[in-house]
Amino acid sequence: MPAVQDTIDRVRKIDVDQYKYGFQTEIAVDKAPKGLSEDIIRFISAKKDEPSWMLEWRLEAYRRWLTLEEPTWARVHYPKIDFQDIYYYAAPKSTPGPSSLSDVDPELLKVYEKLGIPLREQEILAGVQKTDASELEEPSDNVYKSGRVAVDAVFDSVSVVTTFKKELAQAGVIFCSISEAIREHPELVQKYLGSVVPTSDNFYATLNSAVFTDGSFVFVPKGVRCPMELSTYFRMNEKNTGQFERTLIIAEEGAYVSYLEGCTAPQRDENQLHAAVVELVALDDAEIKYSTVQNWYPGDAEGKGGIYNFVTKRGDCRGDRSKISWTQVETGSAITWKYPSCILRGDDSSGEFYSIAVSNGYQQVDSGTKMIHLGKNTSSRIISKGIAAGFSQNTYRGQVSAHRKATNARNFTNCDSLLIGDQCGAHTVPYMEAKNSTAQFEHEATTSKISEDQKFYVMQRGIPEEEAIALIVNGFVKDVIQQLPMEFAVEAQKLIGISLEGSVG
Amino acid sequence: MNMHTQPQRTPAETALIDAFGDRLSLLPGDGAVMLKRDDAIEAIKHGLPTRRVESWHYTDLRRLLSVVPDFDPAAMAKAIAPIVEGSAVLPVLNGKSDAKVPAIEGVAVQCLSEKLIDGSIAPGLDPYGSDDAIGALNTAFVADGYFVDIADGAELEKPIELQNVQAGGQTHVRLAVRVGAGAKAVIVERQAGDGAALVSSVSQLVLGEGAEVTWLIVQEQPDTATHLAQFKAHIGKNAKLTLFVMNAGGKLVRQEVMVKTTGEGADFKLRGINLLAGDTHSDVTMVLDHAVPHTTSTEVIRNVVTGKARGVFQGRINVHQYAQKTNAKMACNTLLLSDDGEFSTKPELEIFADDVVCGHGATVTEIDHDHLFYLMARGVDEKSARGLLVKAFVAEVIEELDDETIVEALEARLDEWFVTHG
Amino acid sequence: MLEIKNLHARIVDDGTEIIRGLNLTVKAGEVAAIMGPNGSGKSTLSYILAGREDYEVTEGDILYNGRSILEMDPAERATSGIFLAFQYPMEIPGVATMEFLKVAMNEQRKARGEEPLKIPEFLKRVKEAAASLSMDMAMLKRPLNVGFSGGEKKRAEILQMKLLEPKLCVLDETDSGLDIDALKIVSDGVNALRAPDRAFLVITHYQRLLEHIVPDSVHVLYRGQVIKSGDKSLALDLEANGYAGVIGEAA
Repeated sequence: MPAVQDTIDRVRKIDVDQYKYGFQTEIAVDKAPKGLSEDIIRFISAKKDEPSWMLEWRLEAYRRWLTLEEPTWARVHYPKIDFQDIYYYAAPKSTPGPSSLSDVDPELLKVYEKLGIPLREQEILAGVQKTDASELEEPSDNVYKSGRVAVDAVFDSVSVVTTFKKELAQAGVIFCSISEAIREHPELVQKYLGSVVPTSDNFYATLNSAVFTDGSFVFVPKGVRCPMELSTYFRMNEKNTGQFERTLIIAEEGAYVSYLEGCTAPQRDENQLHAAVVELVALDDAEIKYSTVQNWYPGDAEGKGGIYNFVTKRGDCRGDRSKISWTQVETGSAITWKYPSCILRGDDSSGEFYSIAVSNGYQQVDSGTKMIHLGKNTSSRIISKGIAAGFSQNTYRGQVSAHRKATNARNFTNCDSLLIGDQCGAHTVPYMEAKNSTAQFEHEATTSKISEDQKFYVMQRGIPEEEAIALIVNGFVKDVIQQLPMEFAVEAQKLIGISLEGSVG
Repeated sequence: MNMHTQPQRTPAETALIDAFGDRLSLLPGDGAVMLKRDDAIEAIKHGLPTRRVESWHYTDLRRLLSVVPDFDPAAMAKAIAPIVEGSAVLPVLNGKSDAKVPAIEGVAVQCLSEKLIDGSIAPGLDPYGSDDAIGALNTAFVADGYFVDIADGAELEKPIELQNVQAGGQTHVRLAVRVGAGAKAVIVERQAGDGAALVSSVSQLVLGEGAEVTWLIVQEQPDTATHLAQFKAHIGKNAKLTLFVMNAGGKLVRQEVMVKTTGEGADFKLRGINLLAGDTHSDVTMVLDHAVPHTTSTEVIRNVVTGKARGVFQGRINVHQYAQKTNAKMACNTLLLSDDGEFSTKPELEIFADDVVCGHGATVTEIDHDHLFYLMARGVDEKSARGLLVKAFVAEVIEELDDETIVEALEARLDEWFVTHG
Repeated sequence: MLEIKNLHARIVDDGTEIIRGLNLTVKAGEVAAIMGPNGSGKSTLSYILAGREDYEVTEGDILYNGRSILEMDPAERATSGIFLAFQYPMEIPGVATMEFLKVAMNEQRKARGEEPLKIPEFLKRVKEAAASLSMDMAMLKRPLNVGFSGGEKKRAEILQMKLLEPKLCVLDETDSGLDIDALKIVSDGVNALRAPDRAFLVITHYQRLLEHIVPDSVHVLYRGQVIKSGDKSLALDLEANGYAGVIGEAA
């Protein structure tokens, strides 16, 4: 990928602070009062026009949450969160609910335009034949501008619009906000919501179950290959507001879907909480590919402000021969606490986790995955690349387990960490648990800095130091980058370059 | 120990606390030592660690330690033949050292009870952290053991074998060894017995500048015993420590290895084999601190799991912020031979310095089918072929030790285990 | 073109002096061979020319086209026309060879004030150069040097040399690890680049390479100094009689 020179150029153009999505927008909002109580949950549920079973589900989760304690096992440190000092609902006034593109407040459309995500429906381009030359040429723009992606745009607590709904419906694919799904497809939501991440799963997932405000819903029926990439773009705008989105993706027998997730937030001195839950269900022979480029505001150079990203993501390979693949590029957030996992329940099912976690400044990342092998002949693959710079702490935490009946379970794990500078830390904490004699696990991990020999070799060919480092780092993360859809990959690579700016001296 | 106050004490916790009350007047120690004992029993009163305590994640001591036997002062234990002929044997029998041990040139030996009475060992009785249950248990109850001081420059011709032999009841032993600058020694730590005992054993080793030590832990407790052991070492400048652990017995076993490099040029090698059989639980947990620049380490652990055994290896390598140029590599390989057995591994890297090369690898596998086929194609029947391959898998680690005599002695112990459990 | 004057250099880490008063002049168009026993400082000299930070010049100077290069970093030296073909080329995982070539070639062009190469022109040049060295284009799609055999790595070095069009080529034991066919291909590649405005510094342990790349001058390096210089017959003499005689003479 030829992002190298470009990365440097772009970085140079950015001012002292490198976060380019830090602007905030003045948009009239409708907010619930600050704090959390049963009344607030009733308020959210009423705003969403939810059926009573949904409200009951939320209240039950809330009561459970009151009995739970915040987890402390992750290698992250932050002051205690005051859960009564957060707004749990904030919605742009002009948008009563999901609507067609023509109904959306032009101010909101401008926000997304500015973020590089024009919300419009273009004709889907025919696939272009790849040539030797095209491999070297940079796609001129990002994935959203290509117009080949359907987007669900979530602004603070609500989904403002979902594009390409009609085209998708023709293929039988449902792609809408979760609020709409609760109203329009209650039978599907009731069947699958909470079936992968139960309301009692963990502190943040339980909180999310009580107060989630919006998110995306995808249903791909039996035998359907979703005709385009689906994407949700999350934007946190309001001050002191938490974002609690809930995403549910279901791929029925033989279905396939590729889903992308992106996110940004304004630059603020206060920390903001983002506690999402994502549930994926893959039935027999189904495949779900879930990609994330996480770019929440990471805080300033002194570690002030930034998003607390406490997320529960789990996929259930419920059917035989099903496959779930997580790819994540994590560059943002002050604190990341996130373990996209796979439950390999169906026989011959497989799970994948590809991750790049970049931390700089005072960022703290504790991320990884769980691969739970339950079915026969299940396989999993974990490739994790951590890059720590500045004063950051970057931890990979992962679990691989094979249960008694998981005959022939296979896992391959590779975690590499790169340290840039001597004030940061890189940590690797894998848990491997085998209860079946036919299981085969293979784990390898390394931690090192950029080799002086490699740097000298590259510079000897006339490539300046900063670019030489960028080139080597890009090579280091290549295994993961190539799992992303092409245009997304270019974006991701640029983002990594920007995140590491100023870290090489 | 455990952060949360336990709602109710388990019978084992109650038994330990009661035993402390009963034994208090019999325990040797000056005021400083007795204060350490008080602190230690307070820690136990807060409850034994559960799986919620990260370092005990796979060994829930509170749940697993179901029975605590009473002390049995009358039980008779006998010294055993050393694994290397001609070794100087320092026996601790049923928790008591022998005041009349043979003289060894360049080595001063003292009974640990004396060091407890005069209080000189008190600073070493501190647990290393809030989750150090073994340290606390041992500090509360330790009554004897040895203090061995190897003079600067001494090169011992024969190994010293420290024997801890139990005959049931409870024994709490401490073995402290100081190795002077430039000294060379082979030290064998034998852990054995024939009773359903609760054993706690803490070994402390300090290596002076340029010292070279090979320390072998051979643990062959009966499958009725609970064995909670700790090995702590500081490796000084340009000193080398090779630690070999053969863990091949016990019903509930936790062997902790806590090593710190304290001088530049220090080198640590850990080689371990865990042989697990029957309905047992065995945990080897290592914490290695690279605390100064330019130190190296390699760790190789091989595990064989049969029957209903549950095995654990946790290995954490900490590289401190100023410990630049650290080179550390760890490998943990497991053969899981039974569907009723299980093995959990947690190899961790905690790295705070950038100019380092650190790595770990871990595998869990079956016997290689190609190897098995090859042997069978040469006419070896399947059972023998499997036996050969399993033995080769662990013997590889033993053979890395340079000393022929030691390799032979350990292979003899290995053969014995295979005869009993093959 | 290259003038090394009374050069002294040591290893930064431990202060060991490796180059101890080395003098050498190489003219444009000249092929100079540097020979010497193991540990005489041959590879160190190549690293110092290319600007490796592990070595520190304590005395003397290196003039390239009349200008001292001591203050230039490795990339600046490279864009000014100095190329080092490494004895052990580094593997760079994840970085496609083609991508690397493109970036490196464009850096050279930038230094000369030229526009970056258009993709078709770039591809054409790489294809031609690869064909002349009997290299498979598929190899160039792989990450740089990763999984290349010893011979493939050496060929890739010469390919880079061809494409970057340097003025001073330093070949560090390019013949080591090559079989006779590969040696021929690599030597032909080097010979094709011989030009009146280009100089070569060929570092080798054996005379074998010099049968293929015939030098204009031969210099014997020993303990960080040039102890004897001559024409190509000196290399033959060394082959026949070993280094002992020359060393004895100098002592």
